[in-house]
Amino acid sequence: MLQRKICLLGAFGVGKTSLVRRYVDTIFSDAYLTTVGVKIDKKVVSLGAEQVALILWDIAGEDEVAAVRMSYLRGAAGYLLVADGTRPETLEAATSIQSRIVVELGRVPFLALLNKADLAQDWAISAARLQALEDAGWTFRRTSAKTGAGVEATFEELAALLAR
Amino acid sequence: MAKLSLAATNPSAGAGEEDPGRRLAGLLLELARCVNPSVAQAHPSRLEADPRMEALRDVLMEREQLAIARLQQRFDDPSEFADAVAAVLPAAFDLAARDQRLGQAIAPALEQATQASIRKSPGRMVDILYPVMGPAIRKAIAEALDGSIQSLNQALKQSLSWRGLKWRIEAWRSGSSFADVVLQHTAVFRVEHLFLIHRKTGLLLEHVAADDAQTQDPQLVSAMLSAIQDFVRDSFDAPAGADRSGRSIDSLRLGDLLLWCEEGPSAFLAAVIHGSPPASLRAHMADTLSAVHKEWREALDAFDGDTAAFADVAPRLRHCLKEQVAQERRKLSPLLWAVPLAVLVALGAWIAQRAIERQRVDAYVSALREEPGIVVTSVERHDGKWIVDGLRDPLAANPADLLSQARLDPASVFGRWEPYQALHPSIVLKRLQATLNPPATVVLSQDANGIHVGGSAPQHWTDKVRAFMQGLPAGAQTLDLGALKDVQDPDYIRLRDAIQAHLIRFEPNAPRPGKEQESELDTVAQELRDLARVARGLGFSVRVTVVGHADATGKDIPNLSLSLGRAEVVRSMLRARGIDPTLLAVRGAGPLEPLRPGASADELSMNRRVSFTVSTSD
Repeated sequence: MLQRKICLLGAFGVGKTSLVRRYVDTIFSDAYLTTVGVKIDKKVVSLGAEQVALILWDIAGEDEVAAVRMSYLRGAAGYLLVADGTRPETLEAATSIQSRIVVELGRVPFLALLNKADLAQDWAISAARLQALEDAGWTFRRTSAKTGAGVEATFEELAALLAR
Repeated sequence: MAKLSLAATNPSAGAGEEDPGRRLAGLLLELARCVNPSVAQAHPSRLEADPRMEALRDVLMEREQLAIARLQQRFDDPSEFADAVAAVLPAAFDLAARDQRLGQAIAPALEQATQASIRKSPGRMVDILYPVMGPAIRKAIAEALDGSIQSLNQALKQSLSWRGLKWRIEAWRSGSSFADVVLQHTAVFRVEHLFLIHRKTGLLLEHVAADDAQTQDPQLVSAMLSAIQDFVRDSFDAPAGADRSGRSIDSLRLGDLLLWCEEGPSAFLAAVIHGSPPASLRAHMADTLSAVHKEWREALDAFDGDTAAFADVAPRLRHCLKEQVAQERRKLSPLLWAVPLAVLVALGAWIAQRAIERQRVDAYVSALREEPGIVVTSVERHDGKWIVDGLRDPLAANPADLLSQARLDPASVFGRWEPYQALHPSIVLKRLQATLNPPATVVLSQDANGIHVGGSAPQHWTDKVRAFMQGLPAGAQTLDLGALKDVQDPDYIRLRDAIQAHLIRFEPNAPRPGKEQESELDTVAQELRDLARVARGLGFSVRVTVVGHADATGKDIPNLSLSLGRAEVVRSMLRARGIDPTLLAVRGAGPLEPLRPGASADELSMNRRVSFTVSTSD
């Protein structure tokens, strides 16, 4: 079976953990996030006849006091950057994380997720900003931890990106 | 170098020698040759033909020629060449290092250089290596100490016990240290899981588990393990940028559960262990890990998440799935409970048997005491046998009969009887019966007052009883013969009377009877035979005394011998008639027992006779 290490990153409170909770297998509690700063989940995705086990390193959110532990990124084959579509500052945090990841890992495949897509009326990210980032090589997907929209598709897409 | 002025190359200057148009064409051809190699091949140079072309080339190539000359000088001058190489060497190594060949090429030289350097100044090498080797050595020493302290504790604990003694013998026989033997026996542990984890990605390369060990998803566990390793390293170890790969968690304990991690350059081996493993297990893990690194080095370096290359690692890891079970923790067989139970039952049975036996012996002894003619003086148990001592009249009951009545094994009860004569009435009675052989007409009975002899018996038997009573000790109970009637056999009486009525007559002074007496003697003989038969049938013997008599004439002495002679003659005559001589006795009475007292001839004739007296004799 193929395995891939995937990191899940984003600012504090963007809902990364909730986003994947319903779609992954795990044996660890959320307490690991606050203690060790990372929580491991697994998502098995079928790619044709082959199965890929995505080992998700859900890395504790970045905030004013805690920076992402870069050592957790080592060896990652790809990552998911999560931002909250209703809070533009989380997107800026994501860009900051992204720049540090590039230093640590080099260029590896990633997807940027704009979470809370269900709260369309509160959407606060400008199309121009998104366009600018897309021009810089970002790929955005809208997801909702609440409805589950886009989550499965995101995993499959990332798996396909990483498989070869 | 010859130099041609520009003016000399001017086509107009040499116009007189050659057609200027041809010269220009030649020049252009040469240029074209320089620019395009195909032209150079197709068209030979014409310079040889024209020395001015050489001059022209000098003019055109002057700067290049100067540059070449400078380069030439740099190559030729060693110091300048070294400068030039030094300037590009770092970049060249950087580029060449992408290929393995550089490493292979310079490795021997580097080895030689290192050796030379160490030989030259060992101290400097120590300084360089210290930061690297120091922690490694400290770790090794700490582990060794840890192991030996563990050994010491175990050894102290076990050295005085019986088991310790056995182990000491084992150590002596096997030639290993006592502590090792102790550890070998006491370390109770079980390696339940082994995770081979890729260090860089935290991905699981291989997982093996003991047969019945349960685990959560090993892929998740291995990722979390490496995350925790990272976390600990980041949080407590040297700051980022320092040597981060050298140190890591090597053991974690959670109650009875132990996690041992053995780090390698590309992968680490994590073992989940129950109990307290010996330090040798750690060494075994390290050996396994280095073997994996050696054999799968390229696969480890190239690992990108596809574990197919590591399919053969599992058997190697399984060697580390060791366990040791403590001897005393072995589950007891349920049958073992039967052993004390059986012992208990056997003990109970033995006690019960002893109690029953004791009871039976008591019953037996009291039965013996009841028995007349038996006196028990002591009962004791000796060597698993009962010994009964006492006195016993030979006519008393046989103790063996009582023994079987008491349901005792004759082999386990041994009687020692001293014979004696009992005066108990029943024994006296028995003795009476045994000694006197009473006829059927006699009734013997016994009560509190003594023995009563009733019924009827012949005189001779009554005489025997009286003699028996004489033999009893003084003070013993007497026999009451009051009710015994004296009876005789009628045939005996008749024969006795008939025999005693016969008289054999003699002539005066004649020792033999007259002829006329022969028939009388025949009758007597017949009657004697009958008497002997009757007496024999009644169980007693008789004796017939043949008494000779003489008359009173003549002197007494001759008469006495005459009378005896007459008796002897009659006896002989009866013998001649077939009478057993032992039946007969003879006596001479002389004239002393006359039948008639008178002295007439008739009376005298009556006294010359032989008479018979019948008596019973015993």
